[in-house]
Amino acid sequence: MSETYRVPVGPIHIALEEPVYFKVKVHGESVEDVDILSGFVHRGMEALVLRRNFLQNMIITERTCSLCSNNHPFTYIMAVEKIAGVRIPPRAEYLRVIADEVKRAASHLFNVSMLAHLVGFHSLMTQTMETREVLQDVKESIWGNRMDLGANTIGGVKYDLDKEQIRYLIKQLNLIKKPIRELTNIYSNNRIVRARTEGVGLLPKEDAVRLGVVGPTARGSGVNNDIRAIYPYVVYDKLNFEVILEDGCDVRARALVRLREVFQAIDLVEQCLRGLPDGPVTTPGLPRIPEGEGVARTEAPRGELFFYVKSNGTDKPERMKWRVPTYLNWEALKVMMPGNKIADISVIFNSIDPCISCTER
Amino acid sequence: MTIAKKEMVSVLLAQLKIYVTSGYEHRFSHFDHLGNEDVYISLHDKGDIGKVASVFQHHGGRVITITPYVVDSGYQIAYHFDVTGIVLTVTLLTEDGSVDSITPILKSADWTEREMQDLFDIKIIGHPNPDRLILDESMAQGIFKEYMTLSDAMTGAATNTLWERINEAKGGHDE
Repeated sequence: MSETYRVPVGPIHIALEEPVYFKVKVHGESVEDVDILSGFVHRGMEALVLRRNFLQNMIITERTCSLCSNNHPFTYIMAVEKIAGVRIPPRAEYLRVIADEVKRAASHLFNVSMLAHLVGFHSLMTQTMETREVLQDVKESIWGNRMDLGANTIGGVKYDLDKEQIRYLIKQLNLIKKPIRELTNIYSNNRIVRARTEGVGLLPKEDAVRLGVVGPTARGSGVNNDIRAIYPYVVYDKLNFEVILEDGCDVRARALVRLREVFQAIDLVEQCLRGLPDGPVTTPGLPRIPEGEGVARTEAPRGELFFYVKSNGTDKPERMKWRVPTYLNWEALKVMMPGNKIADISVIFNSIDPCISCTER
Repeated sequence: MTIAKKEMVSVLLAQLKIYVTSGYEHRFSHFDHLGNEDVYISLHDKGDIGKVASVFQHHGGRVITITPYVVDSGYQIAYHFDVTGIVLTVTLLTEDGSVDSITPILKSADWTEREMQDLFDIKIIGHPNPDRLILDESMAQGIFKEYMTLSDAMTGAATNTLWERINEAKGGHDE
């Protein structure tokens, strides 16, 4: 009972959707410490993008990962547009937000459904996934794909919404409001879910600040790192929204932030549809990318996504670097895990909404 | 919001003038129509990066990421910081391929410094946990400095592991 063991979790493990390696030190049933090793899906994308031109890189960056796929080209393109001094048409700015918020709602619902799966509440998981399926249909109907939307291009967006599509989008969003309210009620109040999430995986606010964590992981500990508010882009400055913060600092708080952000995403899409101006969706022609450097960041579903692009005046970037939200959130697991039971490891791990393909590029 | 950000940029640049002993060059700032300012700075001496990190840490800043890249005279390293919603990119040159760690000052630099060590073979001096992050121990550090074709990588030319296993299966005889 008093002995200390090291339990390997991964690199390939039944509780993990992607490969990562945890060396967990346990004392009896309790976790004492955790060491994390990564690099199992490192694809050298940062080297690859230097051998492709600026347009081809829109396609590559979208394939960094699937759940936040829209944010990668979105952010990359904004960095390139800064170098080229391009200001996109107002209609395109609204359309960029619509695509991004639909992706956010679907991504958050996926994460909370995984939480239901991990606590053994399978009917809640299927209900959540069924609700999310409406958004998957929306993505497939409007953008032609369930995951990679291909919505953005340098100088604007690649899609437009006609009246019929707008009516369809509003109808589908209305369809999921009631189920999401019911689901939120279960995630917040159900005895089983509360027992497995309340007080589990604590990340105190001061640790969240010290580690520089981002996204719902930070906001579940009361830290406002929402890029849409602190570093507004496209039309977020014109939209009416408040940053959602919870102060529970535990798995439950992080799940509640995501659920509340699903409502917020729906509201933001509706605001954009109401305010959608007429006009073109791209600038005419393609700009030449001059020598220079630019940074851009967006609030991806998991938090701040950052791109740095350096151009030397040719059609290919001289250097490109991107930092995904999960990258900063890993170290928080070392604070969240100790003191919890072995059975909680996967629940805590899921609570940072990890994306390993993103992390390793 | 915009005024507060402008004031903060002035405060940060003034404090850097005091604490960065070898000086810096404020190369340019990028302003957008939403009130954001991206600041680009170059350090004259790489040894000043710790002082920069301390100034930003004092104002609640964090490291977003670090971008190293190879130049003729060594490595250029661009540090990207966030201080109250302002992005500051601080670039330095290291000719001998070493730089002081800022992880003891800003914990958010931890992984990105280790990644830089793995992929570019840049020596990070004083990192509290300098273990490999991305690459397995069997692979040489600094793999990003080399160009390796996919076919080479897939035939196992990137590591010795494959041939070691084949030799082991053959009873340890090299052929």
